[in-house]
Amino acid sequence: MRTSLTRGLAALGAVALSTSLAACGGDSETSADAGAAPATDCPFEPDESVTSTARIAWQAIPNADVVVKDLGLLEACLPNADISWVQAASGGDVITYYGAGEVDLGLMGSAPATRASSAPAMRDVDLAVVWIHDVIGDAESLIVKDASITDVADLEGTTIATPFSSTAHYSLLQALADAGLDPAKDVEVINLDPEKMPAAWQSDQVDAAWVWDPVQSQLLEDGGTRLLSSADTAAAGRPTFDVGTVERSWAADNEDFLTMWAKVQDHAVGLIQDDPVAAADSVAVVLGIDPEAAEAQFEGLDYLRADEQASADYLGGKLARDLRTTAEFLYEQGEIDAVGPQAQYDEHVDAGPATRAAQ
Amino acid sequence: MWFDDSMALLATSSPAAPARPGTGPRRPPRTAARLRRAGVHALSLAVLVAAWWLITRLELVRPLYLPGPGAVWDAFVQANTDHPVREGSDRMVRGEQNHYLWEHLLASLRRIAIGVGAAIVVGVPLGLLMATTWVGVVLEPYLNFLRSLPPLAYIGLLIVWFGIGDTSKIWLLFLAAFPPVAMATISGVRGVREDMLNAARSLGASRRQVLTSVALPATLPEVLTGVRVAVGFAWTTVVAAEIANGIPGIGGLAYLAGEQLNSALVIACIVVIGLAAIALDLGLKSLERALVPWRGKA
Repeated sequence: MRTSLTRGLAALGAVALSTSLAACGGDSETSADAGAAPATDCPFEPDESVTSTARIAWQAIPNADVVVKDLGLLEACLPNADISWVQAASGGDVITYYGAGEVDLGLMGSAPATRASSAPAMRDVDLAVVWIHDVIGDAESLIVKDASITDVADLEGTTIATPFSSTAHYSLLQALADAGLDPAKDVEVINLDPEKMPAAWQSDQVDAAWVWDPVQSQLLEDGGTRLLSSADTAAAGRPTFDVGTVERSWAADNEDFLTMWAKVQDHAVGLIQDDPVAAADSVAVVLGIDPEAAEAQFEGLDYLRADEQASADYLGGKLARDLRTTAEFLYEQGEIDAVGPQAQYDEHVDAGPATRAAQ
Repeated sequence: MWFDDSMALLATSSPAAPARPGTGPRRPPRTAARLRRAGVHALSLAVLVAAWWLITRLELVRPLYLPGPGAVWDAFVQANTDHPVREGSDRMVRGEQNHYLWEHLLASLRRIAIGVGAAIVVGVPLGLLMATTWVGVVLEPYLNFLRSLPPLAYIGLLIVWFGIGDTSKIWLLFLAAFPPVAMATISGVRGVREDMLNAARSLGASRRQVLTSVALPATLPEVLTGVRVAVGFAWTTVVAAEIANGIPGIGGLAYLAGEQLNSALVIACIVVIGLAAIALDLGLKSLERALVPWRGKA
């Protein structure tokens, strides 16, 4: 009688034991994150007075942010700050993380940044756009299957795939409107994750897609033709960006951190412009892609130095107006409750860190 | 402290296992049957891999949709070694996403272990309580409600509550694994034959003795089955839970590889996930055989 109970408890104990053993094994591994990044010296005088705790949300986009992360530049320049990096799959995720109080800085597209600066999300998060990681050019484009389509107006009656709520979605709807097509009636715009597009493309379920790399390159390789890119919609007055955001109350308390953060970002932009081969290595490591592919992806994005960013063309003025234009689009899509006054978007853009970094 | 106790319990129970009657003399024929079965499995696997190789070799399917076995093997090797970022570069990359594949697997296993472990620690006592007292009447609708929810539906809520670190993922796995364990315990207790309990009682067993010496051992096989179901459920959940900030984690790696259209690495991850799940289940099964030899006999 006694043994049955002992055995029974032993069974449970063994399960608990195996779980606890597995737990011990894992603990040591998760802390080994800094791993392969080579030790880098700060290109400036490190600021040892900064003791901020910064939690940064990053995304797998080939720009200076991942170069900063890979080279450990921020850690080298702010040796006494406590910096952690959190990966997000989309700008929507980054807003969720802000809402949960889990991050202090984060990268997102201009569409999510606009959403964060409009009702209802602005009740939960209070962000300022302080940096433009990249201006989206050929990195996002409209690829069509039928090479005889040479004008957006020819797309009438076709099915076009794009990931909804993204900068690509925004660019697509702008391009359709400019060509006089009603996205609700004249074409069928469907929501599709990029990685699912090649299969849908192959089986003729979509006729066109507005999407980014690596899927963009894949569709071109599969016989697609580039009809338009975000560089064209930008030229038509509807630019899209990947921007750096910061929680505003955190920004007020950590001004020195942000200044160095902007300087480091600016330095990494310089690396991409002056030594793209080395910068591509960093991007390749972080994204898990070939360095050649990373280098090719640099071509599709425009990177701005701090002084350009601080100018009236970007953070110093026009970006806030671009956000409001984006808000009008998001409002039509039902993604925000109201388009705020221009002053509201001015308030959510802060050229301060870029200006200080440019000095 | 508690783990030390359980280790002692484990140690005391193991000498009993080889003494099981009937295993000694029957071993040779069993081994032969097992060998034959292993041969069948090996043959079917070889046929499968050969067909896979042939299909990709003849380029019937494009590598994006189905890379060949060689490409998958290369992805597997690359994910487990340090390699230069490009030919001739002295910049070395550690596995994939700065972790070897086994480290990704271990991170996922660790999340499962903690989630399922907590589910056992909470689920078994609660199941016992629910099956034997009025608590069951009150809690059963809630347990059924929780059980019917797809865990992914509330991961967003868990992130808001518990953050984006491991805590929210472990909570998710706990909530996914806990209902099967509790339900199995309840059904196990309810399935104990009344005449066995009465027999113990008529021999003068106290209420406590009936519980610890008859009800509990009779319930254990069912509980262990519940644990196996819970582990399976946790596997399917962990892969999805790791989509958000899941590196290291094999589900997170598979997701990232998919986003980069790296099909070879996706398949390598899937194979590793599948093999690990089978190994885990086999381990639990043999644990069941070793620790609950009375299964089906009581």
